[in-house]
Amino acid sequence: MSVSPTWLGTVAHLHITARAFLPMRGMPAIELVAGQGIRGDRYMIGTEEGFYSAKPEAGRQITLFEEEALECIRRDHGITLLPEEHRRNVTTRGVPLTHLVGRQFRLGDCLLEATRLSIPCRHIEEILEKPVFDPMINRSGLNCCILEGGTVRLGDAIRPA
Amino acid sequence: MRHIRTVLRAAEPAGPAIRLLTLMDPDGWPLPKFRPGAHVDLHLPEDRVRAYSLCGDPAQQDRWLVAVKREATGRGGSAFLHDGLAVGDAVAASLPRCTFPLAPDAMRHVFVAGGIGVTPFLSMAAALDRGGGDYVLHLLHRDAVPLPALLPRATVLHDTAAAGRPALAALLGGPAPGLHAYCCGPPGLIAAFEAATAHWPGGQAHVEHFVPPPLLPDPEARPFTLVLARSGRSLDLPAGAPLLPAIRALGAEVEASCEGGICGACRVRWLEGPPIHRDRVLRPEERATDLMACVAGCAGPRLVLDL
Ligand code: FES
Repeated sequence: MSVSPTWLGTVAHLHITARAFLPMRGMPAIELVAGQGIRGDRYMIGTEEGFYSAKPEAGRQITLFEEEALECIRRDHGITLLPEEHRRNVTTRGVPLTHLVGRQFRLGDCLLEATRLSIPCRHIEEILEKPVFDPMINRSGLNCCILEGGTVRLGDAIRPA
Repeated sequence: MRHIRTVLRAAEPAGPAIRLLTLMDPDGWPLPKFRPGAHVDLHLPEDRVRAYSLCGDPAQQDRWLVAVKREATGRGGSAFLHDGLAVGDAVAASLPRCTFPLAPDAMRHVFVAGGIGVTPFLSMAAALDRGGGDYVLHLLHRDAVPLPALLPRATVLHDTAAAGRPALAALLGGPAPGLHAYCCGPPGLIAAFEAATAHWPGGQAHVEHFVPPPLLPDPEARPFTLVLARSGRSLDLPAGAPLLPAIRALGAEVEASCEGGICGACRVRWLEGPPIHRDRVLRPEERATDLMACVAGCAGPRLVLDL
């Protein structure tokens, strides 16, 4: 018999940006649209302003990053990467993102399905002028599609569906 | 999407044959941050790329100021930015890069600028004014003063048409511990500056040439000839030039995603090399036939690809 681990996390930070390369903006709340993306973000369907917009995939609708990974990068590499710098939309606390590929989970009242692990992109080093590409390999967050939309706020719970 | 989209929001004359451009995001979103002394590449029609220092205050995040001097003998980039670009037009730009930074440990900075070469010092002065840094800007000019409205308080003007070029050694006053000197301007001024600082301790005299070096060069890199076997086209690459844009310039299509050698998108078969791999996706036996174009170089004189 397998024991399924239980976890309960929270939303620590929320960020969007209008276009590739531009700074991420911290938000108290974001609005998710099922099958489309986050209102105002570069990867929202119909916006196509992201670095990867020419290669659409469902998992670009919303991306998540563990706050714990920021702490690891500081500890292991001495590099301070801020929540607005990893360029994912949701910074999570207490969520085992790497174990969620292929699964559904709740972000606030919204329902997400994780499509794959994110991979880092060299262009983040150009943007930040920090050598974060190597430290981000294998801890670069999670790509998800949005099955049920709604509003997500700072402090909202994240839990298995 | 490789470039930053900006829109020309304002343009005004700002000194002899100088047009000052204000570039902003189409929706007024903050632009990427830049460090004092940084520049951007502007991508102009006909694949022309021109580098310009950002001469505004780095703390003002919603706009980039770029000062363009009309170069009568130039290659047409400055003429386009003077005559061909109207307020409201789109301008594609690169991320800011800083190859001419302020020395972080300096106690005093002496800037020597020749004419339009004053531009990188304007963002430095704004940052130092904000942080209470100690500096002086010596601006040598032959015609009217460039960018008069943007010059900082601590500017000393030297009219070289009236008095000739001042003795740089006297302006610099150094060397001294904590004193850093910087020069940007025409080649003759840079040469005079380098002569005047030749006896300074290493790393305390800095010059900015108008052509920036490529980003993150590989010290081991050597020049080679890139050959595409199927089309027969070839291109000579200088040491450290990136492969992917060169392949594309020859008309071949290669996917790319991470551009850091880990995602596997840009895999290409090679026929002659040997390549310098630098990726982290290919296994040793795969490297015998394939390379990742986003990070690979070449150890031999020719790199032939199956494209
Ligand atoms: S683009 Fe990812 S390995 Fe080259």
